[in-house]
Amino acid sequence: MFARRFLISFPIFAIVYLIQESIVSQFRIFGGGVSLFLIFALLWSALGTPELGALTGFGAGLLMDLSQTTSGPMGQWTLIMILAGFSISYLGYGDDNFRGNPISLVVIVAIAVPLTRFAYLIIGLMFGSELGSTLQIFISLFSSTLWTVAVVPLLMPFVTRIHSALFEAESRG
Amino acid sequence: MRNGGDNRGRLLLISLIVTSLFLITLDLRGVQVIDGLRSGSQTALSPVQSAAATVFRPVGNFFSDITRLGRTRGEIEKLKADNEKLRQSLINRTIADAELLELKSVLDLAGIAKYRVVAAKVISLGSTSSFAQTISIDAGTNDGVKENMTVITGLGLVGVVKKSYPNSALVQLASDSAFRVGARVAGSQQIGILSGQGTSKAVLQLLDNQTTLKVGDVILARGSQNNRPFVPGVPIGEVTSVDNAAGAVTQTADVKLFVNFSTLSVVAVVVGSPKSDPRDALVPKGPIPIPVPTVTIYATPSGSPKP
Repeated sequence: MFARRFLISFPIFAIVYLIQESIVSQFRIFGGGVSLFLIFALLWSALGTPELGALTGFGAGLLMDLSQTTSGPMGQWTLIMILAGFSISYLGYGDDNFRGNPISLVVIVAIAVPLTRFAYLIIGLMFGSELGSTLQIFISLFSSTLWTVAVVPLLMPFVTRIHSALFEAESRG
Repeated sequence: MRNGGDNRGRLLLISLIVTSLFLITLDLRGVQVIDGLRSGSQTALSPVQSAAATVFRPVGNFFSDITRLGRTRGEIEKLKADNEKLRQSLINRTIADAELLELKSVLDLAGIAKYRVVAAKVISLGSTSSFAQTISIDAGTNDGVKENMTVITGLGLVGVVKKSYPNSALVQLASDSAFRVGARVAGSQQIGILSGQGTSKAVLQLLDNQTTLKVGDVILARGSQNNRPFVPGVPIGEVTSVDNAAGAVTQTADVKLFVNFSTLSVVAVVVGSPKSDPRDALVPKGPIPIPVPTVTIYATPSGSPKP
């Protein structure tokens, strides 16, 4: 069932990935821009079970590893996203008060985005990547939090509707 | 799962993590398949990215400009200022090049005649308070420039110093209608008086009615006593038309002055000259005739056919 759900989600992720790589990447905005795909993947994971979160993270991480803007080795984003997807879905799993509250979702995704990016940075450091300016890293992480807070409320209605349409229909089927 | 999850969930998580670590290991070991995956995805994605860049880049630039509005404005101002500076330095450089060329030619002329000269820049042209045709130069008595000294350029006579101040001097141009100079026709001893007419042409009146002028004759300064106000041998102009009116006591001619007075920037004041007259040494060289190749064909009659 997980594999089937994973396969159903894949075209949606592919479209969002395409939008991220071709459209969102054109906008050079404060703090290095916004990662719509990362926000989408974490939001999607937060709405599902931990297993589905890990699988979602795996697929999203693979796509992120294929991006030309990725500097780390293939699999680095995959590893981070598996853990992030699993963790974010694990936190809210079984707690309908948590999942039903949009503010909780905004907060958890807004925290998860910079944490995920920070984890990527730390693991990249272990693989020998250059760290760069500390101030720049701080600005980038801070701005990604702000952008996430701004983007998640806009994205959430679409994501929750698509998610429920797909998986509730699947459950009924 | 909330309290640790079932075994299947754990197994899935572990297998996914192991897969990602496997991918990292393969990539770090330089396995070609991994590189191929990335390059393949980029090959597939690049046309879409190009199309999106064409459509969305202006919008992206707009947003980028909004966030960098203050800095962009500052950069534009800085670039404008830099551009203005560069334009000014380019103009200065062009002016300096032209002045250098003029200076070189005037020094060449002075060198041939062995004149001792003081180079000067023209600091003002003409006068708004009078009709006299004059220029002001940035050399004066401090540089050895005195009244009644000859002023030349690389092309020939400019005029004569009328007033000299410590750091500047006023020069009466040869084109001024009050200007008079004793002149000589190059290649002969015909002498006359050349008068300025207020234009680029002057009138030469010969003193001797036995001689004749031709169009194209070069007119030189005859020189004055003690070489002041005029040193001998300085080219003045070229005869463009000769007035052969019947009944005239002496011949007159229109002379086109060599110097273009409207573009003067660097001149030289002759402060000393050799005792010997340079004669015709300063006459401008005419154009070198280009030899026209000629072909001579010799026709050799062949033997006449026998009847």
